[in-house]
Amino acid sequence: MTSVSAPSGQGASPQTPSGVAASGEAATAAPALAARTRGLRKVYRSTVAVEQVDLAVPEGAVLGMLGPNGSGKTTTIRMLLGLVRPTEGEVELLGQPMPEGAGRALPDVGALVEGPGFHPFLSGRENLYRMASAEPRLSASQVPGAVSDALERVGLAGAAHRRYRGYSLGMKQRLGLAAALLVPRRMVVLDEPTNGLDPAGTREIRKIIAELHAEGVTVLVSSHLLAEVEATCTHVAVLHDGTVVAQGELDELLESGSPGLLVSTPHGDRALESLRENRIPGKLTPDGVRADLTAATAPQVVATLVHAGVAVHEVRRERTGLEDLFARLTQHETTPDGLSEVDEGGK
Amino acid sequence: MTAVGLAAPKAAHVGLFRLYRAELRWIFRRPRNLVVLGLLGLIPVVIGIGLAIGRSTDNGPGNGGDALLTEAAGNALMLPIAALAVTLNLLLPLTSAMSAADAVAGELAHGTLRGWLLAPVSRGRLLAVKAMGVATLTLASAVLMAVVGVLTGLVMNGAGGLFTLSGGTLSFGGALGRIALAAVWVTLQMWAIAAVALAISACTEHPMLVVVSVLAGTIVFGVLLLLSAVDWLHPFLLPKSWDALIDVLRDPIPASGLTEGAVRALCYIFVGLSLAYARLTTRDG
Repeated sequence: MTSVSAPSGQGASPQTPSGVAASGEAATAAPALAARTRGLRKVYRSTVAVEQVDLAVPEGAVLGMLGPNGSGKTTTIRMLLGLVRPTEGEVELLGQPMPEGAGRALPDVGALVEGPGFHPFLSGRENLYRMASAEPRLSASQVPGAVSDALERVGLAGAAHRRYRGYSLGMKQRLGLAAALLVPRRMVVLDEPTNGLDPAGTREIRKIIAELHAEGVTVLVSSHLLAEVEATCTHVAVLHDGTVVAQGELDELLESGSPGLLVSTPHGDRALESLRENRIPGKLTPDGVRADLTAATAPQVVATLVHAGVAVHEVRRERTGLEDLFARLTQHETTPDGLSEVDEGGK
Repeated sequence: MTAVGLAAPKAAHVGLFRLYRAELRWIFRRPRNLVVLGLLGLIPVVIGIGLAIGRSTDNGPGNGGDALLTEAAGNALMLPIAALAVTLNLLLPLTSAMSAADAVAGELAHGTLRGWLLAPVSRGRLLAVKAMGVATLTLASAVLMAVVGVLTGLVMNGAGGLFTLSGGTLSFGGALGRIALAAVWVTLQMWAIAAVALAISACTEHPMLVVVSVLAGTIVFGVLLLLSAVDWLHPFLLPKSWDALIDVLRDPIPASGLTEGAVRALCYIFVGLSLAYARLTTRDG
């Protein structure tokens, strides 16, 4: 198996904060990377869970890790956090080699991995208190305050005294998030954070991710929900069968492929004719035409159509949905079953 | 691997004592642990009441039971020792095993161990805190039984008649000393069990498996001790010296059995914790 990297994603991705190229071979010193893996491989007995994963998480980015269930997202995250030792390859987290540098890197990293893990017989507050007791960045006297703040932040303050046993799935997820946010972090890793959340809860998670992003915190969020990634992330890495098939800035990945303009009109034939007369390539679509923007700008296309008397109902820039992108990246070896695990949501 | 150490932050750790306090808070807030402690505390009372009833009805020589128990009926010194001796073979080992099972396997099953590993708590520290927590619960259960035993014995028999198995009598302070010695020695034996249980606990994520292993191990060891064909094996079996507990009731105390048992327990603790450490540090979290 080899890494089939999308040319657009790997090649030129201008970096957000410091303008340092972060992908491909250019990243040797890579001070602008919050996390990086090289040649990562993990084998469980005879199963290869992850193979040749070269992941780069730029500092300050919100990177969405996308892939169907079983594509190696969680395994990669666990290796990134030093919970699992890779069979081969290197991991660097906040400049520290993992798992050896866990003591130096992890205090600044908050994580929610493989769902929230808490004791059912303790209250939410007591559970969080136990987690906070082990946080090196909190002194003993700061623990109660940090616990209350974190509960407040995820909207659990009202249910803090109740036993974890009685929490709904969404509340459990929030408590897990609260544990990740006990201390101001440099990086936050969230593995499927919206699992089990209702739409309002999902929105709140997005809000929290946006807040973290605004504070300059690097966020790594894994998900199989395409819409979620599209709505919250600046960068994206697509995993498939244990390999990274594409990574880079979300916008670049989405606008890869030739640019086009979608025009809805009832007079498709006439529109196409006028475009051809002006040497603008185009083709018919079910509700109008698609004009190729390599030869003309969008205003030119619109002007041409209006001059030709075509009734233009709507004009929009064509964007490859994440779903299309995902299909394109994985279709060469994907069975229909593999794709069906990905919830649709790309527009 | 190369460390890219640009202004590398120092490794940060939480003090062991703070973790230990958090661990104790967790152990002693667990309803199940409290129930188990309560039941263990009831045992000396039940034995005391049972003996008192047995004495008043006088059910004849055949039903007198264990010599130790018979003595305990009229002797405040004997009751706590008898309670410890009765539970030493099964109930106390199960308590230690349960605690050790919760400590690692149970936490893994709940996914809660991850929280501390990510804080981060290094694996070595984690084992230290876990071992201290289990040791504390074990000590608490032995001490609790001794204290309740003394109180029950005093209520039933008063402070008089503190005679030993050798026929002499002890001062009240001397008797308390003997009971404390018994509790400490029993605790040490249970720590040996707990250390092995921790090693098993570090290998699995099914807490039940740990308890079952200890239960089965205790029974198998007991059977092996009865077979003279494998007497070369006997010196390696922890329960071999458990009969020596009643030596604390003799005057003077014959030290050989108790010492041998203590040394054996220390060996078990060393081996058990080493295995647990080896497993815990290499295992995927």
